[in-house]
Amino acid sequence: MITTIAGHELRLLVRQRTFLAMLGVLGVMTALAGVLGWSSHRTIVQVYDQAVILLASQGKPAPPNPFTLKPSLSLLSNMVVYIPLIGALLALIVGHHALADDQTGGVGRLVFSRPLDRRIYVAGKVAAATAVLGAVMVASFAISAAALLIVNRRIGTGDLSRLAGFFIVSWLYLVVFALIGMVAVIINRRNSLGLLTATGAWLVITFIVPQFTSGLTPSASLNPTTAPASTSQAFFRATARVRPYSIAEQYKEASAHILATSQSTESVWHTALRISPIVGAVLVLTIALVVLIDRHDYSRSATNE
Amino acid sequence: MAEPAIEIRDLSHRYDRELVLRNLDLRIEQGEIFGFLGHNGAGKTTAVNILTTLLRPTSGTARVCGFDVVEERHAVTQHIGYLPSDVRLYGHLTATENLEFFAKLSGVDKPRHAAAEALDYLDCGDLANRRVSTFSTGMRQRIGIAQAIVHRPEVLFLDEPTSGLDPIGVRQLRTTIQRLNADLGMTVFMNTHLLSEVARVCTTIGVLNHGELIYKDSIAETVRRFPDEASLEDIYVRMEGVPA
Repeated sequence: MITTIAGHELRLLVRQRTFLAMLGVLGVMTALAGVLGWSSHRTIVQVYDQAVILLASQGKPAPPNPFTLKPSLSLLSNMVVYIPLIGALLALIVGHHALADDQTGGVGRLVFSRPLDRRIYVAGKVAAATAVLGAVMVASFAISAAALLIVNRRIGTGDLSRLAGFFIVSWLYLVVFALIGMVAVIINRRNSLGLLTATGAWLVITFIVPQFTSGLTPSASLNPTTAPASTSQAFFRATARVRPYSIAEQYKEASAHILATSQSTESVWHTALRISPIVGAVLVLTIALVVLIDRHDYSRSATNE
Repeated sequence: MAEPAIEIRDLSHRYDRELVLRNLDLRIEQGEIFGFLGHNGAGKTTAVNILTTLLRPTSGTARVCGFDVVEERHAVTQHIGYLPSDVRLYGHLTATENLEFFAKLSGVDKPRHAAAEALDYLDCGDLANRRVSTFSTGMRQRIGIAQAIVHRPEVLFLDEPTSGLDPIGVRQLRTTIQRLNADLGMTVFMNTHLLSEVARVCTTIGVLNHGELIYKDSIAETVRRFPDEASLEDIYVRMEGVPA
């Protein structure tokens, strides 16, 4: 029965225009990250080559190629920004559509007048959402690997492993938002309010919470930054306590370490620890979803949206 | 004596502080077409929601095909079909895809075959491969009935099935209900306001007034009991105590 629900959900999803539009945007942005990296790489190498010729004509020694000093995956560092922005919105839409027809659309009355256990229903819906996001991440992985191959002319197994690790963590991060999309639908009577609530949660997680943590560094809400210097002031002590639970920040930090583009270094164990709030969020939201759907009154009429 | 299709005992339901069903007792035999009448807000839909297991009653018991709607929910849902008022289906899917999904949920062995059979039975094979979002109210209602019978249930619950239908749609629905009852032996429980249809289709009627069952008998007996009234509408108005 789980496969029936999941298969049905996948069939519905591929016919949703908003989902297809967001999927297209994410695909283009993933490819763009590679193109931008390739373009800047090419420009810098051209300038460097001309400088080497000029310096050689003047009998001066040439400095080392700047790309030999940069991490090989640095070309894809923009992906750490695109996933929390576009990827998370895509995941919200996936989660929203998974339950919207049955909740606010009123089809749930027909679904639950059948011999269907509500937990099986949740399992099927979550399986479909995670499968879709998994497929999106596999596609992004392929595009990113191709971009790296084109720019760097080679790609080692180490880089591929790091890239795979990054997309696995990204998938987990996106599952959080798919679940938020689902929970938001079930707690709202109206379709539009469900989407609005989910978008509000995305804004809080992506932009507002980071402002209370590492927000003192202006680019922190978008790019991974090193932790601010410790201070004895109460405000900073409080924000330092919140920081470990900010899943957006932990995602960016963990991703930067996995891709080896971070300015600092840390152990694999420490990076794994950063992912634990994301895993925790997935568990809490899944339990909340099971409880909410179990108690939900599907006998109520549909809203006219 | 055969087991009744539906047996309700002392059933009550409360929404917040409002008691919408009061100690309802009702027995509907197999093969009956039962018309459940009552004013708006009388509690008819609440009763159907309980019988289709969508809602847990506050107190009392209800059994459908011998199974308790609370304790044996799974068994009940295997034996019933349900068409809500203002039926909604998956608009992005075709009629066949919708029916196939509901057949699978009911554990039908060959869902695609069952979907095609249900569409053919209702003479709407031409709608099979069209997306439901493009359908008129009447078309949607027919596909709604198809989803309710795709798994050949023993008891069919119809909640205001004629709402939004034009006169031809109403007539088609009447014929469909009679055929389902005659061909497949389905027991039909129908909430409705359309008294002319009740008089033509139903074998038994029940009248609900502010959550209380104030009358239940066969159509024939009802007409005999009220010889002075010209139509079922007049009888109903008299029962409800509303000045004509």
